[in-house]
Amino acid sequence: MSRQAPRGLLALSQMGSIALNTFREAVRSRVFYILLAFAVSLLVFSSAMGFLSIGNLQRVILDMGLSTISGFSALTAIFIGIGLIYTEIERKTIYNILSKPLARHHFLLGRYAGLLLVLAVNVALMVLVLSAVLVYFGGFTPQIFPAVGYIYLELMILTAVALFFSSVTSPVVSAICTVAFYLIGHTSSALAEILAPQIKAAWAKQLVTALYHVLPDLGILSINNLVVHEIAPAPGFAWRALLYTACTVTLLLLASALALRRRDLV
Amino acid sequence: MAEAIRIQGLEKSFRGHLSIGLHRVLKGVQLTVPEGVIYGFLGPNGAGKTTTLKLLTGLLFPDAGEIRIFGASPQDLETKRRLGFLPESPYFYDYLTGRELLHFLGRLFGLPKNELRERAGALLATVGLAGKGDVQLRKYSKGMLQRIGLAQALLNDPDLVVLDEPMTGLDPIGRREIRDLILLLKEQGKTVFFSSHILADAEMICDQVAIIVRGQVVREGELEALLGSKIHFWEVTLQGSPGGALPPGITLLASHGDQVLLRVESERDLQEILDSGRRAGATVRAVTPHKPSLEDLFMEQAAGGGS
Repeated sequence: MSRQAPRGLLALSQMGSIALNTFREAVRSRVFYILLAFAVSLLVFSSAMGFLSIGNLQRVILDMGLSTISGFSALTAIFIGIGLIYTEIERKTIYNILSKPLARHHFLLGRYAGLLLVLAVNVALMVLVLSAVLVYFGGFTPQIFPAVGYIYLELMILTAVALFFSSVTSPVVSAICTVAFYLIGHTSSALAEILAPQIKAAWAKQLVTALYHVLPDLGILSINNLVVHEIAPAPGFAWRALLYTACTVTLLLLASALALRRRDLV
Repeated sequence: MAEAIRIQGLEKSFRGHLSIGLHRVLKGVQLTVPEGVIYGFLGPNGAGKTTTLKLLTGLLFPDAGEIRIFGASPQDLETKRRLGFLPESPYFYDYLTGRELLHFLGRLFGLPKNELRERAGALLATVGLAGKGDVQLRKYSKGMLQRIGLAQALLNDPDLVVLDEPMTGLDPIGRREIRDLILLLKEQGKTVFFSSHILADAEMICDQVAIIVRGQVVREGELEALLGSKIHFWEVTLQGSPGGALPPGITLLASHGDQVLLRVESERDLQEILDSGRRAGATVRAVTPHKPSLEDLFMEQAAGGGS
């Protein structure tokens, strides 16, 4: 080789290449477009549903629209994420990558960044459609942008979960575990908010509270309901959400890197 | 001569199905590859060739033993800078074109854009894919995939090229082109380490070989030294009668019209049959000495089980 980039820059460039390739892989796959077309159709359909609902038309469209963006992006994150590492090993494409001077954790980070890029494009397109629908019905509010920002934080966590399971097990098991994480994450707050106050025994209450703290809580990242009902989030909400995402993603990426570090690529 | 590869006491086992049992694939492999040679790593299917190559390229971790490539660990990223690898039946992202693949993998070496563009074009031409660079890999034939695999192995102008069954999937012309390319790499001062079960190809181009059988290297060294200069037998073609009954050291292989083809085991028998044939009025058409081939050596070692 004639010239060599400094090591740090080279690592960044390598991760960028892996990320772009992951992006290219997704946008050249039919499944991505099918999911996207389905999500966009549902967004448009939600406006029709608004006419059939009792209540504020714009509010219903906004509510259904944000839920659709959240649900379909999560589906895309899980669907693509569960195969991020596993399929590379299964299809043996990883042999050509990791025999090059690329650290395994950089490969992992590149794949992660690539899927986040795919999701960013996915979400941006859906936001565009939702905004157009809302503008048409006169219910557009700039508050959809922070709401989508928080949806993206949730996607960052979900992608890291899928990536972790993809590093250690098959896509089917990964899908089950990631969906379980998603469902638990969206229902665990009920432990602290509904179940714990009803329990009288102190030890049981402590147990339920402890369980809540161990389980993921993706509810703390969502402001969809607040935006729909035009309520401002509590002070410090953004910092808490950012910190929660940063810690969870870091832990999951570290665990994924550890799992891949000494793994035999048979 | 400096060493490109040194492998000592290499062992590797894999868990069986459902993690039951342990399958020992490599049982203390030892070999040394000097710099600048073409080294053939030969063995029957399941002998441990691919496992050794994956250990060499850092895709697997050894259970025991040591591998040094240019004196460093194969896991070292600096080592990988000097290495080019073609996996067995290479798999690529089929949504990329050949050129896109080379650009993508080239960027992992940190090659500048302009250099990469030139290099990708030159390599596509070198491996015979000049007009096919913009075709998606899903439309490539097996032979074309093998060629693009070889091109990506040479992207970084490596000092050591490791090829796992490079002739697989190629027609005779393709095999010849790959042989010529390997010889060219040697001329350029590179070390080529390749596994193969196509012994004729190995015999034509290798300076040194190792034969691995059931996880152990049973023979290693320079090809000429391994095969030796001793003649195993001669084939004699006579026109006319060989004169009387054939002695025990001579076997009739074929006869056509008044011509006979004989296999002669020793020099004494050869002299005898030539003399008796001449006495009986026969004409000697050909005397062909047969040295042991790599295939003979290989079969002998494989039959011996490496013990």
